[in-house]
Amino acid sequence: MANNSLVVAGLTRQFGAVTALDDFNLDVAKGELVALLGPSGCGKTTALRIIAGLEKSNSGQVQLNGKNITNDPAHVRNMGMVFQAYSLFPHLNVTENVAFGLKMRKISKSVREKKINAILELVGLDHHHKRFAHQLSGGQQQRVALARALVIEPEVLLLDEPLSALDAQVRTNLREEIRRLQLELGTTTLFVTHDQEEAMAISDRVGVMNKGKLEQIDTPDTLYNKPATEFVGTFVGTMNHLHTKLSDGKINLFGQSLDAMKSGNESGNVIALIRPEAITVKTDGEANATVVTRSFLGASSRVTCRTLDGTLVEALMTSAATGDLHPGSQVQLQVLSKEVLVANV
Amino acid sequence: MKNLGSKLVLIITGIFIFFPLYAATEFSMRNGAEHTHGLTAYRWIFEQSGFFENLAITARITVLAVILNLLIMVPTVTWLHLSGQRYKRLVEILTILPLIIPVVALATGAQLALPSILQNTVYELSFMYVVVAMPYTYRALDIGLSGHPLATLTNAARNLGASWVRVLTNVIVPTIRPSILAALFLMVALSLGEFTLAQLLHWSTFPVWVTNTSQQNIIGATALAVGSLFFAWILLFGFTFFGGKKSNTVQEEA
Repeated sequence: MANNSLVVAGLTRQFGAVTALDDFNLDVAKGELVALLGPSGCGKTTALRIIAGLEKSNSGQVQLNGKNITNDPAHVRNMGMVFQAYSLFPHLNVTENVAFGLKMRKISKSVREKKINAILELVGLDHHHKRFAHQLSGGQQQRVALARALVIEPEVLLLDEPLSALDAQVRTNLREEIRRLQLELGTTTLFVTHDQEEAMAISDRVGVMNKGKLEQIDTPDTLYNKPATEFVGTFVGTMNHLHTKLSDGKINLFGQSLDAMKSGNESGNVIALIRPEAITVKTDGEANATVVTRSFLGASSRVTCRTLDGTLVEALMTSAATGDLHPGSQVQLQVLSKEVLVANV
Repeated sequence: MKNLGSKLVLIITGIFIFFPLYAATEFSMRNGAEHTHGLTAYRWIFEQSGFFENLAITARITVLAVILNLLIMVPTVTWLHLSGQRYKRLVEILTILPLIIPVVALATGAQLALPSILQNTVYELSFMYVVVAMPYTYRALDIGLSGHPLATLTNAARNLGASWVRVLTNVIVPTIRPSILAALFLMVALSLGEFTLAQLLHWSTFPVWVTNTSQQNIIGATALAVGSLFFAWILLFGFTFFGGKKSNTVQEEA
């Protein structure tokens, strides 16, 4: 693909007996924001560090705009990076921190000043030029770090869980801002996070990683609605795990016959994976479950039911539709989707 | 009541520290039997032969020791923090050795280990002083580096286009500047006051000269002691002032 800015092929990294990355492949198009999502220890940060040149891979290749940069040292790669830990140079103020990369590139003072003023205004810190890291809040420090990474006009912006040290409110604001800046500047961005909401909210595509491998990479919608594997389905959003039997490509749930969507070679006893919003709870019809709890969440409500065989099933419905459901109510469960993902037990 | 108690502690501590100083200063300013005060004893110091020569020798030894110390210790301790963690315990034990090994053993043993070209110059003392100061300078730098997320700062600097040399000169050194100054001061203080090694190896340095000279004149000896102390204080204040100032300059790639 000609417009691919960053291409990673067959990356493998081992730490002793542990395989942190196992044949990892990734293509990021120019101007695209791709998130790498996964539990801790899945290799996402290792992948990012290898791309940045801060870590060596055992095998595989990193290409930037068609050029093999696998063996280039970190300081010549022209990639901006924002780290999880606060990383501002403590002996330099905001302006000097942002100026660091420009000075390393021997940019003249006048150009430097112009660029620094522009980027600090862009990240909303135009009144804090002379402050030091210890005089800034966590959110402000990460904004400066972002400005410092962006001011060098990097080929790729690498974000290594930059929001995880911040509190919820700041985190939500800053992630929207990262997306706004990224779209405005058109910077190709790779964003590592373990927070699925964060990844889904701002990314063009999300890659879900598990045990050093990329399980699936797709748009947030596809990932959510058509997870390719059980891991992806379970890691992204909530899933009901229901035991059933697979025969002739069909499964039977709550008396309904449904099409099974296989992720591998499933047969016989399988687990059906169903999103809570794909299940509805009805008070009419033949009862096949009992309501255990109903949690009011505002526009929607979460209803937990126990089926006749004792399995707990979670349904997410509009609150208006759950008004007459109470613990103990006899109800009928129904699956709304026609196709259901199944996995081996 | 509490206030009074803390004031009392301050006053007693103050007397404990400053009274001997006052007494020594007063004594060093006596003009013999005349019961008057003046700077006779201090003038006497400068009149003794060898004052400036020995001071100059010690100054040169000190400068070399400081340079050697920083060149060896700053990169070493930085490396230990960045990627040599597993050797940290070993190095910690090694840096304690100069406190355990008697100076006499060090004097003869270390001298034999030095290249012969250095064995015949007074500058061999600089090398030994670096070793003797290691327990202190290592710890000063270690504490300074522990207080900062060094790996992250280094990664950030590398990522922004800094070579390893630039990382050291533009990020690590300015970040741990106070610790470097502390190590530097410890090195200077040790070099200016070290007597045993110099005496054992038959070199005439300022502390050796002070010991020999002070045996001739008790008031002069006190004046020397007081003078040395104030000189050390001036140095300490100088370093503190120098270290307190923030470095505003990130050098541009030349």
